[in-house]
Amino acid sequence: MVVLREGMCPGLDEALVRDLRAADIKTVEDVVSSDIEELAQRCSVSYKALFAIRRVLLAQHTAFPVSGADLYEELLSSTAILSTGNPSLDKLLDSGLYTGEITELSGGPGSGKSQVCFGVAVHISYQLKQSVIFLDTTGGLTASRLLQMLQAETSSTEEQASIGGGSVKAVIVDSVSAVISPLLGGKQNEGMSLMIQVAGVLKTLAKDFNVAALVTNHVTRSGSGEVQPGLGVSWSPIPRTRILLERVERAAPASHSSLRSATLIKSSRQPCYRKEEFDLQWWSCSKEASAGKRKLDETDS
Amino acid sequence: MQRPVSSLSLSPGVKMKLVNAGFQFTADLLHLKPLQLSKETSLTQQEALEVLQAVRREEGGGGGGGGGGGGAGAPPSLTALELLQKEEEMRSIVTFSSRLDAALGGGLPVGKTTEICGAPGVGKTQLCLQLAVDVQVPQCFGGLGGQAVYVDTEGSFLLQRVVDIAAAAVHHCSLLVEDDEQRVAMETFTVETILSNIFLVRCHDYVELLAEVHLLPDFLSEHPRVRLLAIDSVAFPFRLHFDDLSQRTRLLNGLAQRLIAMATGHGIAVAMTNQMTTRLSGGQSQLVPALGESWGHAPTIRLLLHWAGSRRMAAIFKSPDHRGATVQYQITSEGFRDVDQSEQPPSKRPRTQTVESSGSQRDASC
Repeated sequence: MVVLREGMCPGLDEALVRDLRAADIKTVEDVVSSDIEELAQRCSVSYKALFAIRRVLLAQHTAFPVSGADLYEELLSSTAILSTGNPSLDKLLDSGLYTGEITELSGGPGSGKSQVCFGVAVHISYQLKQSVIFLDTTGGLTASRLLQMLQAETSSTEEQASIGGGSVKAVIVDSVSAVISPLLGGKQNEGMSLMIQVAGVLKTLAKDFNVAALVTNHVTRSGSGEVQPGLGVSWSPIPRTRILLERVERAAPASHSSLRSATLIKSSRQPCYRKEEFDLQWWSCSKEASAGKRKLDETDS
Repeated sequence: MQRPVSSLSLSPGVKMKLVNAGFQFTADLLHLKPLQLSKETSLTQQEALEVLQAVRREEGGGGGGGGGGGGAGAPPSLTALELLQKEEEMRSIVTFSSRLDAALGGGLPVGKTTEICGAPGVGKTQLCLQLAVDVQVPQCFGGLGGQAVYVDTEGSFLLQRVVDIAAAAVHHCSLLVEDDEQRVAMETFTVETILSNIFLVRCHDYVELLAEVHLLPDFLSEHPRVRLLAIDSVAFPFRLHFDDLSQRTRLLNGLAQRLIAMATGHGIAVAMTNQMTTRLSGGQSQLVPALGESWGHAPTIRLLLHWAGSRRMAAIFKSPDHRGATVQYQITSEGFRDVDQSEQPPSKRPRTQTVESSGSQRDASC
């Protein structure tokens, strides 16, 4: 519903807006959907002027159809695929994060969602030389960890310092559920609309600016006890691709393993429910440079 | 991109009236006077004035801030390099157990929320009391020289124990005095000043806890020297008589976000203790931290204190910054300390002995 204002189109001056308001025509929809002849009589305005105004308003506010071929050409020229830096994840994602789409990572606490986001951010900014916008809602973003990961990729400080420039190619939100889930449920009726607004803004951002959007989500248990991504059924159509991260429980459950498994649970390009395992320590699988977190002498066990 | 009216921070009724009158974007509201707005949307004059103020604030912030700043609602953005410089200035709170400090990269980090979970008697309250004393260690000794706010929900804050820990800390620091600056600092670092720098709040149920967390930002602005908020425990008020579990999850998530906002906004470390509960999965039972799966996402760092036979172990279960590690510690009459195999520290022998027997009982039952 767009309010009528003077200057919106030639011929729509203040006097005319006032007359229309007096006749209870306040928005563009009212103008377009009412009978022009009757309106011209009621407001004592010329039929021709009103008709011209209606045509201009319609032209300004309609959506134009685009042919499929043009859309395809545009998609081919503008979409980029950003590799995440981790070969196993790239295999699941059909070679990486696609711009213009939202990809979701969900997982329980400690499953490695933030680590994957850091790895992707460092890879995109170092290897692909593009900028990344990182929105952190959990307080888990530590620049020293990013520096650690960067130092694993290159040991020369000149290269580290020369990173930068390039346009923004990725927007990473960690996590979207931390701020939205307190608003959902109960007697609150705003939460759902805010969640869908956020989704709409992210999608428009991704499409208009050709960026890849990566969001993280928490998990909940379904009625049968299975782990599923959070934020409910209303959120599930929003991301184009969804990945579930889990810890890998090996023989010694007390040990702190850095192995994680990723399962593709929704994709429009690949068959689902494929699992890939990867090690959080070696992000780009360069085993010479130990990309692991601080090495400790294990005192016991 | 135009900013929709529904994203402004106004009450839902006001937003609905605005949308019904046809105002979708804030750009539509810019050129209106309050009287006009209230006539068109049937809002009261007061509400119309608030709406216009909110709109002007957003526009003014967005226009003036440029690339670095944002509107009144959005926080300013930093580059990773700026964040790194800010982090290097922030120190951590030492726990006096050097192995745990090494695992945590210096100690409990400031500006993050840490959860300490463990079975009863393993030492969660002791660690919180130790932290409340350690945060006050003067800066010339490597500490933060700050104050602490201690929120007690279980009634486990024992003053005599704090006096013991404080006396041990003062003694420890006085042995390290090397130069004049440290000598001067030691004059202000006594048991009395330590006790006077701990602000104790006693909450009896979850409503009081939530109210206290609501009021804390103002308190923190008035007392800028506070560097630690310890909540012992978060689980206790939320596990009593709570029938509606989804409401509990919502309240906890909201609480977590407010704590994170306080930690990053005021530069304090938040330490919370949590209890353990049993989870049955596929016929097997497992001890997991209480308060549910979604609470696991709330703290940034999770420390799990558990028994291994008769030994107390601290494990870093979840942290974006540190590798998972397990260290052994002990509780002595001086507080939270390392286990030192070479010398015999004056440990509380009776406690470890009784605990040994109950520890093995625990092993049998879990």
